[in-house]
Amino acid sequence: MTRELPHPHPPRLAAWLVALFTSAAQAESILGDLHEEFFDIVSKAGIASARRWYWRQSAETIAHLASAGFRVAPWALAGVLLLGFLLRRFDFQLPEWIIVAILRAQRPYSNLHYGFYVWLVTYGIPIVGVIQTVLIGCIVAAFAKGREIVATTTLSIVSPFAFLLHFLLVGGQWSNSIFIFPWRFLIIQVENLVGLVIGGVLVREFRSVVARRFSRTSP
Amino acid sequence: MTQMHHFFYIVYIMPARDYLGEFEHIVLLTVLRLDDQAYGVTVRREIEARTRREVSIGAIYATLDRLEAKGYVQSRVGGPTAERGGRSKRFFRVTAQGVSAIKHTHRALRSLTEGLALLKTRS
Repeated sequence: MTRELPHPHPPRLAAWLVALFTSAAQAESILGDLHEEFFDIVSKAGIASARRWYWRQSAETIAHLASAGFRVAPWALAGVLLLGFLLRRFDFQLPEWIIVAILRAQRPYSNLHYGFYVWLVTYGIPIVGVIQTVLIGCIVAAFAKGREIVATTTLSIVSPFAFLLHFLLVGGQWSNSIFIFPWRFLIIQVENLVGLVIGGVLVREFRSVVARRFSRTSP
Repeated sequence: MTQMHHFFYIVYIMPARDYLGEFEHIVLLTVLRLDDQAYGVTVRREIEARTRREVSIGAIYATLDRLEAKGYVQSRVGGPTAERGGRSKRFFRVTAQGVSAIKHTHRALRSLTEGLALLKTRS
């Protein structure tokens, strides 16, 4: 009895990443081309070579599409990034205000829900912070149509430098929390940066689903 | 007219929008050469075969999109095929404006290389 070999398929993660950096129409032709060449290489050199080729092509393709995103509309992208900076700047203390408002309204420490109070004080601010950053990522991505991931990734990369510059210029006010809890502070920063990109991915995926549905229903 | 004056004359008569970058020039000539069979895969393979230069699909599409925005190429979507995982091909063809841009660039290059001793000895 012979066992049938599994049908080879291109790396799904690489294909998904390429699709994130392209418009829905562009993804159709680019992924189709990569797919076609992948099977050509599988038949000539084997699946391992084809997979390596696919990953290398995907990385180069993403780099080109990202840089093209900057070149095509630099001012529009700069405007969207400025919007992201302003939202992050003005909403910096929002999680703390929300948690304090909840504590004032519910007064969990004054009754039997002391455990909930401790949990809220320990994890509440970072959780609300991540949700807030995801929302900012969604807003930035909504304005950067077709360049959602380029805009949110750039914002997440540039944000720490802008934050550092702001800290050096008008610092002092956060110095205690930074120096007393440096690791916690760093973890919150990383969470926030990932949250921006997640917001971009959510908007991009939503737009892809809408585009696919629209192309299925249109004649 | 001296050689330098000739160069400025060419730049002057050539509108800025008709100037082609090196890779744009290569891609446009490849699309022209492939006629009605020009899509991502064939363009990439033709460039690699003729220039011995490895290029990515992303570089080709970024350039073709730029050329389309300038009006030098037009694209149409073909039918989906099984070998492409049910996805469609996007075929490109060079427009009259694209042909004109190629001619302008060639004229400028010919003018710049005219009378250069270095090129004469190599050829």
